[in-house]
Amino acid sequence: MTESAAEVLIEVRDVGKVFANGVVGLKQVSMTVRRGEVVCIIGPSGSGKSTLLRTLNALETITSGEIQVLGQSVHGGKANLNRLRTHVGMVFQSFNLFPHKTALENLMLAPRVVGKVATSELRERCQALLAKVGLADKADAHPAQLSGGQQQRVAIARALAMQPDIMLFDEPTSALDPEKVNEVLDVMKVLAREGMTMCVVTHEMGFARAVADRVVFMEAGEIVYEDRPEPFFEAPRSERLKAFLGQVLK
Amino acid sequence: MWYGVYVLVLVVFGIAVHAASDRVAYTWRWDRIPQYIVNNDGTEMRAPYDGFVAVAPDKKSLTLKELRGSRHDTITGFDVLLVGDGDLVFQNDALARKSGLVAGPLTLGLWMTLKLSAVALVFSMLLGLVAGLGRIARNPAVYGLATTYVELIRGTPLLVQIFIFYFFVGTVLKLSAFTAGAAALAVFTGAYVAEIIRAGIESIPRGQMEAARSLGMSVPQAMRHVVLPQAFKKTLPPLAGQFINLIKDSSLVSVMALTDLTKAGREVVASTFSPFEVWFTVALMYLVLTGTLSLFVRRLEKRLAHD
Ligand SMILES: Nc1ncnc2c1ncn2[C@@H]1O[C@H](COP(=O)(O)OP(=O)(O)OP(=O)(O)O)[C@@H](O)[C@H]1O
Ligand SMILES: [Mg+2]
Repeated sequence: MTESAAEVLIEVRDVGKVFANGVVGLKQVSMTVRRGEVVCIIGPSGSGKSTLLRTLNALETITSGEIQVLGQSVHGGKANLNRLRTHVGMVFQSFNLFPHKTALENLMLAPRVVGKVATSELRERCQALLAKVGLADKADAHPAQLSGGQQQRVAIARALAMQPDIMLFDEPTSALDPEKVNEVLDVMKVLAREGMTMCVVTHEMGFARAVADRVVFMEAGEIVYEDRPEPFFEAPRSERLKAFLGQVLK
Repeated sequence: MWYGVYVLVLVVFGIAVHAASDRVAYTWRWDRIPQYIVNNDGTEMRAPYDGFVAVAPDKKSLTLKELRGSRHDTITGFDVLLVGDGDLVFQNDALARKSGLVAGPLTLGLWMTLKLSAVALVFSMLLGLVAGLGRIARNPAVYGLATTYVELIRGTPLLVQIFIFYFFVGTVLKLSAFTAGAAALAVFTGAYVAEIIRAGIESIPRGQMEAARSLGMSVPQAMRHVVLPQAFKKTLPPLAGQFINLIKDSSLVSVMALTDLTKAGREVVASTFSPFEVWFTVALMYLVLTGTLSLFVRRLEKRLAHD
């Protein structure tokens, strides 16, 4: 139980979110993520997984409750959100690479613009990151010239270029051809093994089972169930989760 | 095959124009036109004040002594002397002429049109960028101002705006005709540029801004490095169209005391009585301007497409 002693990086307390059009996105959500933990979030479409993830780096506002990331209140209005976001990397389902820049430029842009890193070492560091995701030879390629799997790996490297403490993944493999899924998951596994703190929204149950420290099940804006992977998948003590797993695992 | 049809239609059209001019018994005098583009008249050197002329013995220089004052100037470098030694001349009298090619009124008009359009283009771009960003701003004051500007300008004729700028704004702020004309054109074009830029920005997927923000960039940084470069590429063709319109619309400033290409054309018609030739020439000169611009933009587009 050394993990429970680790420092808390993300603390979500009783968070609710109602969209402008009245749709309820989150209801009384609470969650804690410690340094080095990998938390996978699963659940049916529209259950609020993306919404929860996006409130963590303030891409989405909340209507009630409180979120602390790296000891700062994200939605209190006092935090320097730009500074906070440099510590929280995010990977999107649709990659969102900058199409007018090469792979390497995609990595270098934010560190250069935000001025977090000295420029002299930046290029080498970004090149090393591309090598780490297996794309050393694609540094000068534009996103349009890369496959989906390659684009997503560049997107992961781009987030890592900011040297974040936390990585958020929103269905990073859902837009990929089935044969490209593993190359992305493998990169994520390496990250997890290196001790990166990760929140991963995913439909890849195999990945959740193998890599996660905890798995969270969401439905209709609520966290319905949360456990370590073995009991979560082997013996879920929740009828709704059982029904969901029955559907996705067949 | 279709190329042949194209040429045939053009030839038939040319013949029709010729036949039409025959019917009104028009005599084409194309030979009169070139002198209004460039001529060999040379430039005249005029007296800056009233005074007496003293011509040097070698006739290569002359000295003008002021009649009621002590100023005196020596003028050299002329080819034809127009005054004699000891002559009394008055201010603005021609003293001598320097031969050589000089630009005719049409060329001067073209140059004025070019200057006017270039100045207006730069300022309309700046204005359009600011107003375009204002149109997507969340701040109601900024949004309201930008929207009012765009609607006001797009809802009124350019000619009326030019009159307002010339007679009202120009008088109040004591603007020169050139400044007033350039300002009217910039303000007018800026409103259209704003809408083009707004549409360009909105055509960039939201994920781009979100990705940039998630990396810690501020909104201005994300705009500057991520959204605007992409939007610029997309807006290049409509912007080019707008700037070609700007060149053509600049002909409306000829209602002011500005001798642009159109005004020059009118003056040349008055002195040559060859309206057909003059207006065809003027049209051709506008085409040269707009054609050059679209060529340049097409080059730029190609270069941007590569990276
Ligand atoms: N900007 C928005 N405005 C209004 N409603 C929204 C908005 N974004 C999401 N919602 C709604 O909030 C609910 C939760 O959406 P969310 O995207 O978080 O679900 P999700 O679990 O990520 O689903 P998926 O697996 O399809 O990505 C859905 O009902 C969705 O329609
Ligand atoms: Mg989602």
